[in-house]
Amino acid sequence: MKELIKSLIRKPWLVILVVVLGTAFSTIVVRYHTRMETDLDEYMPKHHPAFVFSDEADKRFRIRDSILIVLEHPDSIYNPSTLSKIVQLEEALIQFPEIEPENILSLHTAENILGTEEGLDVKPFFTDPPTDSQECWKIQQTVRSNTMVHGRIVSRDERATLIAVDLPDKAFSQSLYQRLLTLATTYEGPEKIYLAGRPIVEGTMALLGPRDMARMGPLVIGIIACTLLLVLRSWIRTILTLGVVLASTVGSFAIMTTLGIPMYTVTIMVPVMLIAIGVAYGIHLYNQADYYVKSHPGCDREAIVESVIETMFSPVLYAALTTIAGFVSLVTSQVYPVKYFGIFSGLGVATEFFLSMLLIPAGILVFGMGKVRTGRDTETEKIYSLTFGARIADGVLKHPKLVIVGTILVILLSVFGITRVWINTSFLDNFEKDSDIVKTDTLVNMRFGGTSTINVILDSSREDTFKDPAVLELMWEVQRGSLELEKVGDAISLVDYLKRMNRVMHEDREEFDRIPENSDMVAQYLLLYEMSGDPDNLWKVVDSDYKGANLKIQLKSDDSQTIKRVVAYFDTYKDRFAQQGIEVRYAGSGYKSMVFADLILRGQLSSLALSILIVMGLVTLMFRDLRLGFVASIPVSISILVNFGIMGILAIPLTSSTALISSIAVGIGVDYAIHFIERYKETLRQTGDPVWAGRFAMGLTGRAVFLNALIVIAGFMVLLFSVFPPNRQVGALVSLNMFTSFVGTITIMFLVLRKTYFARKESRK
Amino acid sequence: MKHRRLGVLVWVLTIALMEGIANAEPSGREIMQAVYDRPQGNDMSGTLTMTLFDSNGKERVRVIKQWIGRYGRVDKKLMIFQSPADVRGTSFMNWSYKEEGKEDDQWIYLPALKRVKRISAEGKGDYFMGSDFTYDDLGDRHPSEDNHTLVRTERINGEECWVVESIPKDPRYMYSRTVTWVSKEKRVGVKRDFFDRRGTHLKTLNVRSVEKIEDIWVLMEVEMHNVQKKTSTRMSFQNVSINRGLPESIFSERTMVRGVE
Repeated sequence: MKELIKSLIRKPWLVILVVVLGTAFSTIVVRYHTRMETDLDEYMPKHHPAFVFSDEADKRFRIRDSILIVLEHPDSIYNPSTLSKIVQLEEALIQFPEIEPENILSLHTAENILGTEEGLDVKPFFTDPPTDSQECWKIQQTVRSNTMVHGRIVSRDERATLIAVDLPDKAFSQSLYQRLLTLATTYEGPEKIYLAGRPIVEGTMALLGPRDMARMGPLVIGIIACTLLLVLRSWIRTILTLGVVLASTVGSFAIMTTLGIPMYTVTIMVPVMLIAIGVAYGIHLYNQADYYVKSHPGCDREAIVESVIETMFSPVLYAALTTIAGFVSLVTSQVYPVKYFGIFSGLGVATEFFLSMLLIPAGILVFGMGKVRTGRDTETEKIYSLTFGARIADGVLKHPKLVIVGTILVILLSVFGITRVWINTSFLDNFEKDSDIVKTDTLVNMRFGGTSTINVILDSSREDTFKDPAVLELMWEVQRGSLELEKVGDAISLVDYLKRMNRVMHEDREEFDRIPENSDMVAQYLLLYEMSGDPDNLWKVVDSDYKGANLKIQLKSDDSQTIKRVVAYFDTYKDRFAQQGIEVRYAGSGYKSMVFADLILRGQLSSLALSILIVMGLVTLMFRDLRLGFVASIPVSISILVNFGIMGILAIPLTSSTALISSIAVGIGVDYAIHFIERYKETLRQTGDPVWAGRFAMGLTGRAVFLNALIVIAGFMVLLFSVFPPNRQVGALVSLNMFTSFVGTITIMFLVLRKTYFARKESRK
Repeated sequence: MKHRRLGVLVWVLTIALMEGIANAEPSGREIMQAVYDRPQGNDMSGTLTMTLFDSNGKERVRVIKQWIGRYGRVDKKLMIFQSPADVRGTSFMNWSYKEEGKEDDQWIYLPALKRVKRISAEGKGDYFMGSDFTYDDLGDRHPSEDNHTLVRTERINGEECWVVESIPKDPRYMYSRTVTWVSKEKRVGVKRDFFDRRGTHLKTLNVRSVEKIEDIWVLMEVEMHNVQKKTSTRMSFQNVSINRGLPESIFSERTMVRGVE
């Protein structure tokens, strides 16, 4: 392969031309054919039993995420203006092509069944908006007597009411949201109108993240370019180094697009990884070129290139291979976006390797060494033995205890931090606390049951199970108990309907607000409800053959802790349900995203463990020394520990994106180690002087590693100014990983390398 | 000049064509009125089998005995459930009045509760017994509530039909329009498409079988398919007898409780 590269760069112009044309072509492909996947369902592994079941249950019980439009009046919603606004808003909503008229629930569309002296009164709360306060008062009295509506569609303090729109799958779009916002503004005053609900949060997040990244990305690259320019002190070098990174990124995106794989939210992490990793190759190659020029003044371009390829091919290849291995281990993930992330990051790194090995030597051949303004032209050996790097090498060796104790402290602190790491699948937590979305959500949660839902699905193989009063009693017991859980706002099931029917059929007497005594009565109430109420509502809580039921729990938060708490609570009832032949399972988008996040995290953690093993194996193979394989894994392991430790300490939650960033620890940490060890080993082999080899490696490679870290950190720190919190976390974690990998390499890894490798060589001699 | 002459010619032709149609075919309104006014007998009894198919492909079958009679300006209807077993004996009675604005009287009897209850219900947009039919779909809607246009004539299932488009006068009615295929021979609707308020196809009604009993065309099997919800309802009648002289006394709370002897 080395020879192939050497023969290719004999035509340097051609190489450059091909790369430029290839990149241009890739850009066109990406620009015009890339499809962004915003439907979160597409992210889920479709054949995972939990998802298969949940999807099926969603269909069975028409479980959909709804948009909540809340009207809040300063005094009371029971006035002609507010009530007629409900009707007007509904009329306007019907005109939206995405919204099905039958899926709008409001005080106006809600069916009301009232028990009267002689029988039943089935009618809407109002058909035409009332004109005077007398009529409003009547509506108010009717609503108050119906617990299915009071507190659910109208808030208990009667100052807010909601219109819930069940959206069909994939119906939410940013355009719909914008039109809804415009609609809301049109009807505001004196009522305030809020929009909330999972589709809005989910949709906005899917849009905001990439949009913010698209805005911040060029800034990151700009800063990296500036820093590169400062460090490499040459335009052409900066352009080539960045060119490699950008061409590889665009190239792997083009391949992805050509294969018909859409962009996912985590795909945004691919360029992040490629920028952080790819810059290193250029820096190391130029570092070697500069060194060669300094130690061989007056040499020609071919000689420089020869030296760069001869010396650097192997470490850069292994650095790339280990990084690729780290990413490719993600292929085992059950989650497609993560799998693709792994494949395409790996592919990108491979491209970066080839392009670096081609473009940078080709650049040297064509443009020479660039106008590098070197400082004092002193003797080379002096530079590398007396630089700051050399002093660090000496310092580390002089204070081994300090380094070891420091490392142990960092590890302990990280372990402490790791115990505090929390997983979060909340979409809402991705927004600023003072953003409109969060504020609205809080408001709606304060007034109503909750903006998030989890569905507890009860299934039996026996027909009419859910007409059995014993089963219904158990359901009611669990349902009532669930309301005691933190952040559970409301729960609704078939039992609510039956209790209401029973009461209504007994002249609205409160003592009959209970489960009917026998299953025939249940069946007849249900038939009556079907005949006079809205049966569609019924089929959201029970199957038409009464073999399955859906208990809807409304939550005031969409974070995993809340969902897990509910799941844990219902799990404790599994045995009692099993006695009735009923299985308890869960469904709904909140539950799915919790399972999903768990899958990503578990996959990511196991792939991290796996990649450390692969790295050790590859490095052992490269150096043909198991001990060096172990040494090389030191910075990687520490980086990973610190990564998760800091996340725990800074309360950065584990999400699909932040978990993936830990891959960078493997990618970067191991590169540093490989370059460093290779330089040390080579120098030691040539000179047999470990002190000199240490200083030299620290001075030459340590410097490259330092510059690499500096450049990437400078670039990614920019993300700290992002308006989108998850992108801030990305910035912080990438910078952190670069930093710990760098520090780990020049301190503890260097110390261990110096002590163990040196000792072995010595003993052999 | 040329243009004017042409204009006149077109105008004359149009008038001639329109008159031709008017002579050959009744208006949309006339057709719908004829369907509404067709003889239906003074009374009718039979067994209704209602099969409900939900979107998951599950079906539920209900068997209901049904008696209908016309007594002066009141139409009376009694339905008693035969199966499923747990609702057997549940009965439902409806008295509907010709007088404008007079609400129907309705009663329900649940055997488990052993009591007859009156139901006062508002609005005819409601679905009939949880099926895909609304009360209006079942023929309760007066032709004067819509504007009718004869769109074309067409043969379906071997029958020559008028195709009438009906647009409700009330813009807030649950359908924005319906299209009905009316058999020229039988003067009964054989198919109808329903469009929701946004003009999207919502349901299709198909008449599967029509039989002549006592000189009256009776719809023996009808099926309504809701294309949006993917549900459907099939109603078929058995043992239909017409004009047997049903006594008005069977339409009482007493029969609701005890059944028809």
